[in-house]
Amino acid sequence: MTTLLQFDAVNFEYGRRRLLQDASFELQAGGCTALIGPNGAGKTTLLKIAGGVLRYGSGNVVLQGEPMRQLARRQIARTIALVPQHLELPFSFTVEQVVEQGRTPYLGLLRGASREDRAAIDRAMDLADVSGLRHRVFNELSGGERQRVKIALGLAQEPKLLLLDEPTQNLDIGRQVELIDLLHFLRGEGITILAAIHDLHLVEGNFDRVLLLSPGETLCSGTPAEMLRPALLERAFNCPPDRHPVLVERTQMQSGRTA
Amino acid sequence: MAENVTRWLALMLLLAIVLAAVTVFSMGMGAVHIAPAAILRALFHHDALSTTDRVILLEVRLPRVLASGLVGAALAVAGLMFQGLFRNPMADPYVIGSSGGAIFGAAVGIFFFSQVSLLGFSATAMLAFAGSVVAMALVYWLAQSGEQTSVVTLLLAGFAVSAMLTNSTYFFELLDSSGGTSSRILISWLYGSVGTPPWTQLAISAAVISVAMIASFPLMRRLNTLALGDEYALQLGLRVEYTRVGIILIGSLLTAVAVALGGLISFAGLVVPHVARLLLGPDHVRLLPVTALGGAIFLMLADTLARSVIAPSEIPVGILMAFLGGPFFLYLLRKTKRGYAV
Repeated sequence: MTTLLQFDAVNFEYGRRRLLQDASFELQAGGCTALIGPNGAGKTTLLKIAGGVLRYGSGNVVLQGEPMRQLARRQIARTIALVPQHLELPFSFTVEQVVEQGRTPYLGLLRGASREDRAAIDRAMDLADVSGLRHRVFNELSGGERQRVKIALGLAQEPKLLLLDEPTQNLDIGRQVELIDLLHFLRGEGITILAAIHDLHLVEGNFDRVLLLSPGETLCSGTPAEMLRPALLERAFNCPPDRHPVLVERTQMQSGRTA
Repeated sequence: MAENVTRWLALMLLLAIVLAAVTVFSMGMGAVHIAPAAILRALFHHDALSTTDRVILLEVRLPRVLASGLVGAALAVAGLMFQGLFRNPMADPYVIGSSGGAIFGAAVGIFFFSQVSLLGFSATAMLAFAGSVVAMALVYWLAQSGEQTSVVTLLLAGFAVSAMLTNSTYFFELLDSSGGTSSRILISWLYGSVGTPPWTQLAISAAVISVAMIASFPLMRRLNTLALGDEYALQLGLRVEYTRVGIILIGSLLTAVAVALGGLISFAGLVVPHVARLLLGPDHVRLLPVTALGGAIFLMLADTLARSVIAPSEIPVGILMAFLGGPFFLYLLRKTKRGYAV
């Protein structure tokens, strides 16, 4: 396995608040990693730094062996696609017009979309299963459909790494399962995935690594079994173990294993 | 896809035909009515009309009709660009301070440097451009925070700068108690009136507007990307700040040329891109030529109406546009409040 992205003691402060403190981790090519942590812990910030959108303080982010600070934005955009939590459009763009924007890092000053670009757009829409929506107006889609279109836009960048910020938020359980299936499929296509996930039920069985980010503490990583330990979650989320189904389940599972 | 391209080309062809027809129609309208057939004959055979009619047509009406077309095209395209830049269908050169900057610069030019010109450009025109750019740069600087620029702050700053500069221009007029030529020109600009410009000014304006529109073409695709938001555009590898500077410079140039020709004309940059978007959707690349043609037609008709309703007197087209565009602005505001994006 090769390392695709590496964070090496990365720090980031927002005003006086330190959101990332010596954050270090590696993403292996082909892996599927969940980023968990309480609200305000800095998950979105970490994804934006990984996507090259936000400038970090000290430390290093290395993409395919090269320091990210030295890479051109277009070069980063051809390797990493960041799918944000929200997308609101001011005008009535169709799904196809939205997905077309994914080709931005490949287009020159005067050159429009070529045959290859069109093929990449069609393939991205097929992969995310939004080809049937291509003429629909993005702003009129349901939450689940919008999520798929945003992923299609990311896929049109032909990235090696897909960063997703809370992709299952506001989706019903049926759409959540569809989305998780899509992530499995994309992983099968060779795309590395890092997704900020709020619902801890979705982590085990779907992700092979977990990054846990909690306020004021150094980021830690491990397998889902290691990172979903009740004691760790209780401290990170500041939640009593008997008050949330996930912690109750994890505690019962752990006692079952011990017995 | 191919169907959309055909529709786009057909619409452009239709608008070009309508533009030609409106040009002829507008030339015939006014205190002295001249039939369209007579106008066409006069354009191709110089001796087809009486000397008086020929002078009215070719030396008074034609420059005015062409000037109103240029003003309309420039304002509509500037409006399209600013709306795309600010991700807001309510942005317009008048609303965001660009027109206010241009008129302030033009006022400085006409009061203090009226005899100065450089490379065929009068100091008034150059100062109108400088005023527009400085106003936009000021608004941009006020709204900038770190690497990003907040759109809401930008619009508010635009409103404040616009109010300051437009009212300062009124102050120039008060200072000139003699009521001389400069004052009269300034008043006609503040009302928004196209008038009959000299052919040299018309030719230079046409050249500048054409160059600005050609230069803006590569930026149109980038405006589509900017519609996703600054961070999204940045993530897609777009050089957001360069794109913004390019849009501001070209939009300000178009505004300045329009103001130098016709003064403060509000809402033309609001109505035309909106209607074009309803017909074609929001793709800025396709909207550019359609908006330019539509803007030219729209202002030619508005100016013809302005000089025909109470002929031989006329209403300044800026006042007419405020009557037409004001309610449209409020309608858009209401619609935007309901969360409906055009």
